[in-house]
Amino acid sequence: MFSLYKKEIQSFFYSPFAYVLSALFMLIYGFAFVTRIAQMETSVFQFSFPDMFYNHFFYFIFIIPLLTMRSFADERRGGTEVQLLTSPLTVPQIVLAKFFSIVTVFLFMLVLSLFFPIYISQHGTVIWPSLICSYLSFFLWGTACISIGMLLSSMQSSSIIAAIIGEIIMEGFLALDQLAATKWIESNPKINSVVTWFSMQRRFLFFAQGMFRLEDLVFFLSLTVMVLFWIILHIEKRRRTQN
Amino acid sequence: MVEVKNLTKHYGHVTAVNDLSFEIRDNEILGFLGPNGAGKSTTMNIIAGYLPSSEGTVTVCGHDIKEDARAAKKCIGYLPEIPPLYPDMRVEEYLRYCAGIKGVKRANIKKEIERAMERLQLTDMRRRLIANLSKGYKQRVGLAQAIIGDPELLILDEPTVGLDPSQVSELRNFIRELGKDHSVILSSHILGEISAVCNRVVIINKGELCAVDTIENLERKATDAAVLNLTIEGDQLAASFAIDGISGIKEVKDIIDMGDGTFIFKIALEDEKVRQTIMSAMVANGINVVEMSMDKPDLEKVFLDLTRKKRSRSKSDKK
Repeated sequence: MFSLYKKEIQSFFYSPFAYVLSALFMLIYGFAFVTRIAQMETSVFQFSFPDMFYNHFFYFIFIIPLLTMRSFADERRGGTEVQLLTSPLTVPQIVLAKFFSIVTVFLFMLVLSLFFPIYISQHGTVIWPSLICSYLSFFLWGTACISIGMLLSSMQSSSIIAAIIGEIIMEGFLALDQLAATKWIESNPKINSVVTWFSMQRRFLFFAQGMFRLEDLVFFLSLTVMVLFWIILHIEKRRRTQN
Repeated sequence: MVEVKNLTKHYGHVTAVNDLSFEIRDNEILGFLGPNGAGKSTTMNIIAGYLPSSEGTVTVCGHDIKEDARAAKKCIGYLPEIPPLYPDMRVEEYLRYCAGIKGVKRANIKKEIERAMERLQLTDMRRRLIANLSKGYKQRVGLAQAIIGDPELLILDEPTVGLDPSQVSELRNFIRELGKDHSVILSSHILGEISAVCNRVVIINKGELCAVDTIENLERKATDAAVLNLTIEGDQLAASFAIDGISGIKEVKDIIDMGDGTFIFKIALEDEKVRQTIMSAMVANGINVVEMSMDKPDLEKVFLDLTRKKRSRSKSDKK
């Protein structure tokens, strides 16, 4: 399993892929950072990282499908899926190896972005507990999205289509909050509770305020595990029915 | 080594493979022959553990491919129709990865890679990107990944497709070499290739077994079907009588009147040596022999006959 993990990591870092995506992430981060700082002069708000994360969620969310789009689609297209599935590795091992490799790349990006808080801490004060909490939630939210992106990639043989569908679903997650705020849904408390329960951004808000709720942790982890399990089932199902 | 029992595979309503049973012995090269779309790749994918069968069992080295997949897969080296290569990896790096996923022990990985590269003459190419290799070399890398870990069974799905003649003959020699200490299943739709390297052949068509036999037996069948064309000039009746008296003739299949006083007798022989007796009988009876030739179907024809028979049978079954 480690060999597959290593190969996946290599395919990210031996190609420009990981670097281009990290650069994009840093660019978005830097852009968000600069605009928030610039707004400080005119607004009464203080600059805070959780606040920035929350308000620029929209941009960050679109990086994930780009990370995951190749995971299974490329294997299928290149015919290397046969090799993986005829190797002594089991399907769960294959899925986990791929998942952890993408999570590693995601972590690499997060570590890179620590440059900004460290820079700030030299010129001002950083509320570390709240920053750690928002990083943690960003990470948990990222892993859940990675698993969803991988699921889409396992359903497609074209990585571009996997990425596009991924973006649409991410957009859908963002829209959940707005959906919850519509009059009709607000007037139906039951539906409202379901919609808001699935809203990732709302959960992020709690983390960003420095509140670490077990409920949110369980939500993100169970969503990730469930989707990973779905990927395994999907691959097994395709083996049985493909022509 | 491998036992395939009542193997059946359905894709929805389509039956790709129907009730196949055969076995592969130790250190044997088994040819898997059939026209395109006969179900060769499906069968090989099932034996390799890529696709699950709908019914029936496959046992590799005593391990059931479904129940004990991990142990069974460790005994198999598989080269699919499209070699499973990552174009952005280097040859050595790729082989190291293959050794890793096949569970080769860490201490043996380096040795295994060297062995595979040496055997396929890839040592000079070790630092090259797979994307930059020629088709022939890509195929070699594909074979190298199959033999890594020294599995007892090698499954090669149409390994010579798209190679030039010298590469094909090189590859055949290599497969022959492999057959000395491995069991090999080699699929192809080209009969010449199978008869050049295999000990036994399994012929399938439309997912059904047509024949399992040795090449020698198939060749014997081909000779049995040989027909002598005897063209004579003169009295047809006298010639018929003369031929009837000769022992070693199975039957006279046909007599064709050419209209210009010559007749062609199509005669099935028990033994080719009877030709001389026929010749002298003709001369003794004063019949002019214009031409004498053997119509000898080759293996190709036997193969075609076998697959055609199956086709017409399944058609009449449907009716």
